[in-house]
Amino acid sequence: MLLFTILLDGIAYGMVLFLISVGLTVTMGLMRVVNLAHGSFAMLGGYLSSVMIRHYGVPFIWSTLGAAIVCGLIGGLAELTIYRPLYRKGDLAQVLLTFGMIFVSIAAMTLLFGPTPVAESMPKWLEGQIDLGFRTYPSYRLFLIGVGTLLAIVLYFIIERSLFGARLRAAVDDPGMARALGINVNLLFTLTFIGGCALAGFGGAIGAGILPIEPFYALKYLVLFLVVVVIGGLGSFRGSLAAALSVGILDTAGKYLVPQLGSFLLWFIVFGLLLWRPNGLLPPKSAT
Amino acid sequence: MSDQTATKPALDFTPPRSGLAALQLRDAWHLLPWGIAIAFYFYADGFHSFGTNVLIMVLFTLSLDLALGYAGIITLGHAAFFGIGAYTAGVVAVHMTTDPIAGLILATILAGILGVLTGMLILHTQGVAMFMLTLAIASMFYEVANQWRSVTGGDDGLTVPRSAPLLAYFGFAGFRFDFRGMTGYLYTLSVVFVWFVIAWRIVKSPFGRSLDGIRQNPRRMRAIGTPVWWRLVAMYGISAAMAGTAGGLQAQATRLVGLTSLELQLSGIVAVMLVLGGERRLYGAFLGAVFFMAVQDWAAAVNPVYWMFVIGGLLMAVVLFLEGGLMGLLDKIFGMFAGKRVENAQPSSNEVKAGEVKTGDAK
Amino acid sequence: MKKLVGVLAGAAFLASAASAQAEVIKIGLIASFSGAFAVWGQQFRQSVEAYQKVNGKSVDGHEIQFIFRDNGGADPAKSRQLAEELILREKVKFITGFELTPNALAVAELITEAKIPTVIFNAATSMITRSSPYFVRTSMTVQQYVAPLPTWAVKEGGIKTAYTVVSDYAPGHDAEEIFIKNFEAAGGKILGKDRIPLNVTDFAPYIERAGASGAQAVYVFIPAGAPSVSLVREFAKRGLKDKGVKLLAGGEVQEIFLPAIGDDVIGTISSAHYTETNTNPENILLRKTLVEMFGKDATPDMGTVGAWDGTKLIYEAIKQFGPKITGDQFVNFAKGRKWDSPRGPVMIDPVERDIIQQVYMRRVEKRDGKLVNIDFFTSGMVKDPWKEARPAGK
Repeated sequence: MLLFTILLDGIAYGMVLFLISVGLTVTMGLMRVVNLAHGSFAMLGGYLSSVMIRHYGVPFIWSTLGAAIVCGLIGGLAELTIYRPLYRKGDLAQVLLTFGMIFVSIAAMTLLFGPTPVAESMPKWLEGQIDLGFRTYPSYRLFLIGVGTLLAIVLYFIIERSLFGARLRAAVDDPGMARALGINVNLLFTLTFIGGCALAGFGGAIGAGILPIEPFYALKYLVLFLVVVVIGGLGSFRGSLAAALSVGILDTAGKYLVPQLGSFLLWFIVFGLLLWRPNGLLPPKSAT
Repeated sequence: MSDQTATKPALDFTPPRSGLAALQLRDAWHLLPWGIAIAFYFYADGFHSFGTNVLIMVLFTLSLDLALGYAGIITLGHAAFFGIGAYTAGVVAVHMTTDPIAGLILATILAGILGVLTGMLILHTQGVAMFMLTLAIASMFYEVANQWRSVTGGDDGLTVPRSAPLLAYFGFAGFRFDFRGMTGYLYTLSVVFVWFVIAWRIVKSPFGRSLDGIRQNPRRMRAIGTPVWWRLVAMYGISAAMAGTAGGLQAQATRLVGLTSLELQLSGIVAVMLVLGGERRLYGAFLGAVFFMAVQDWAAAVNPVYWMFVIGGLLMAVVLFLEGGLMGLLDKIFGMFAGKRVENAQPSSNEVKAGEVKTGDAK
Repeated sequence: MKKLVGVLAGAAFLASAASAQAEVIKIGLIASFSGAFAVWGQQFRQSVEAYQKVNGKSVDGHEIQFIFRDNGGADPAKSRQLAEELILREKVKFITGFELTPNALAVAELITEAKIPTVIFNAATSMITRSSPYFVRTSMTVQQYVAPLPTWAVKEGGIKTAYTVVSDYAPGHDAEEIFIKNFEAAGGKILGKDRIPLNVTDFAPYIERAGASGAQAVYVFIPAGAPSVSLVREFAKRGLKDKGVKLLAGGEVQEIFLPAIGDDVIGTISSAHYTETNTNPENILLRKTLVEMFGKDATPDMGTVGAWDGTKLIYEAIKQFGPKITGDQFVNFAKGRKWDSPRGPVMIDPVERDIIQQVYMRRVEKRDGKLVNIDFFTSGMVKDPWKEARPAGK
């Protein structure tokens, strides 16, 4: 009973992490860009959606899709202008540049929207409770679980079953060989980046009820997104799903059962896991 | 990968100069930064505590230069050792002795030991896995400090008593730490100088040179019989000890240790200072820390809300337009005066091809 | 006779002040302008600027200049460094601000040494003012404004069992202590308590634990800002409200945060020393000025009123003593001082340098489409219970 609650809470939390992190895992896996600013796109998505809802009366679902599209476009633009020159530089330069982008985005959001978290803008049908028979449960969290599952299936078909996905995986495994085979890796990069940022924006918007949108969002949750990506294995779609769910469940369980430990448990397990499998749980072939 | 490094100049095999005998007139420029630091003591009335904080960050940045710059260990968790040093010095002052040097030595030793222990665990890995491990270690330390309230004070912070007079041994009255932080400034400067000399000797030693090789091509170094892992662990330990000293100095200067001394943000900011100043230059740590702190101080004074714009923008600009940091810029300027192109001191470890796998060691 | 001397002395001061050169009196303000608690910095600053708009930027020709510094959140070390810089470099006469307790405690030793009077605009742990004789507080103490809440809950609210969830730092411990003490004294039973580290962001587990305990009410104390909004939202979403569990709060449900929490918050009971909708003339002036200067959404909160009164206290002291005012002069001036604040009548405790004031019980309601707190009970003048329970010198 308690375990079931922990499981549900953990999965809902994990789904939000998955939605936001899956874009990061593909960009980091494919392009080898350590993009710390990924959280900024999720934050932007959250802000955009809330502006659409409150100022233009856009329904919730459409606002999250709108946020995804705008974030994708901005992400594409950033890829062409800022990230391109970075591919040749090393981890450190990427870490620092994207760290700088986080600072800029935090200051920009404070300037535009103020330091307080944005207003709650969930529709009525997501505010209530759903009776599960043995207990009632917030419908919003069930909705998150549903959307996350749906998107995971869609992404599975795109990445693992389509031609685009085959090319993408080829480029992840061996970009040199992929180029030699006539795959336009540059275009693939841009498209993937757009997709990744769009997903981040969508995740930020739809998950705003769990990770509230405020200027420090970009830095506050960054470490969690990175953990998901690295534990899952860079570039691994299945890995990031598994990692996001485990992180969500683990963190939640830790707080339920041993609240005095805080997040120590999570970090301890992350530490042990990375020592055991530095390439993550389900790394793509190239890394093994 | 091997093709790329092969086109770069091979290792520099000129014997390292060391010792006073090797100093020549053209090395006189070394006096400049230290001279400025001493002049600051006499002329910067009211700025001594700011100067002390800058010196502490110089030392911290220098420690990161050893690990990240020279040994190529990418870490996002160096604040762990800074924080350990700070809390150690704080706890020593609260419970054992307020003698500043004793506290500092213990802070250094403990941070060094933890550096060696964690280094032994994580230095088998590479790239993203490694920096996530450093992050995980720093986060664990943070959580421990956060929960262990009886010792660390948790979110309330640990208040540290004022240090006893400096060098008050054998009946000597010692130097009192004054309110204006003048003694504290000289004390900090001396500690930074001692560590700087040690760092200088290390990077010019055969040991330091071997790390140069390891950074550029660990496989070849292993092939010629270098104990790669042990060398990295040793350097990481030294770097951690130095970061611990910096933390200890901060605890004594600020007389308050907070959880922020263990935070990701601090690890990030020290990396920023290093890259800003220029890696593998030792004096890069000076330029980077001084410049960063001055800009931050100025930006925060102009507008306390939006200083992040300035810092973030600066960071992006350095990465995009200023390779080699401020030291690189100085090289170019002096190079123009000398009428010759200054050769890049060492190939940058940052040049990694997009396709290269760096997620983990394949063994 | 005494009065006459006072008037003469005042006149002499005025004369000397007028003849002296106009000086710039600098006042440092340390608070979060970035980070999770940045709302405090914004509120302090708006309040100070509003006060200066109404009362002028100078006193007797001496310019009053506020210098704002960002500590970025709960960062005692940074706060201490900032205070030191303000004193040594900027030569400030006063230090003000402080949204969080650790940041205020960090400067205690420093201001005592430098004899710089420091007016706390918010930080609410009781012991702060005991840590330096130069602290004066114009906000509140946690125990002062929490005290009536548990008593009311048992006696009037019909609540017999409660669960407490507080932040794991000094003010949280203060709140937990007084809530449990008064709740049990009134005959209620505490079913459990949790302490949450300041950096936690997902509160679902804590709310779930509280709900599972079966308590009739959950009392929360968490510093106002992004975290408190999450916590209250989570309470609403968990369906605890639908089950009839009451949320008891304080600064978490200030008017400024209500839109971010949403309609679920309606009906929440809280106690506080300031209700934003009160009709005191000073409050109407404050709200009007804020809206004129910062737009229609500008809303005062505890921080605003603490800063307003603190600034007023400093202005009046400077009026009396001129630009050469010393730390001791200011502290003695503040002791026992009474005035009408936007929150109602207030007085500075002559012994503890803490504020004595009324506490209001409020309920969140929707009026004219806006979520607001409405008073339904006003206590008498309340002294800090923590200090009452621990007389000075012990």
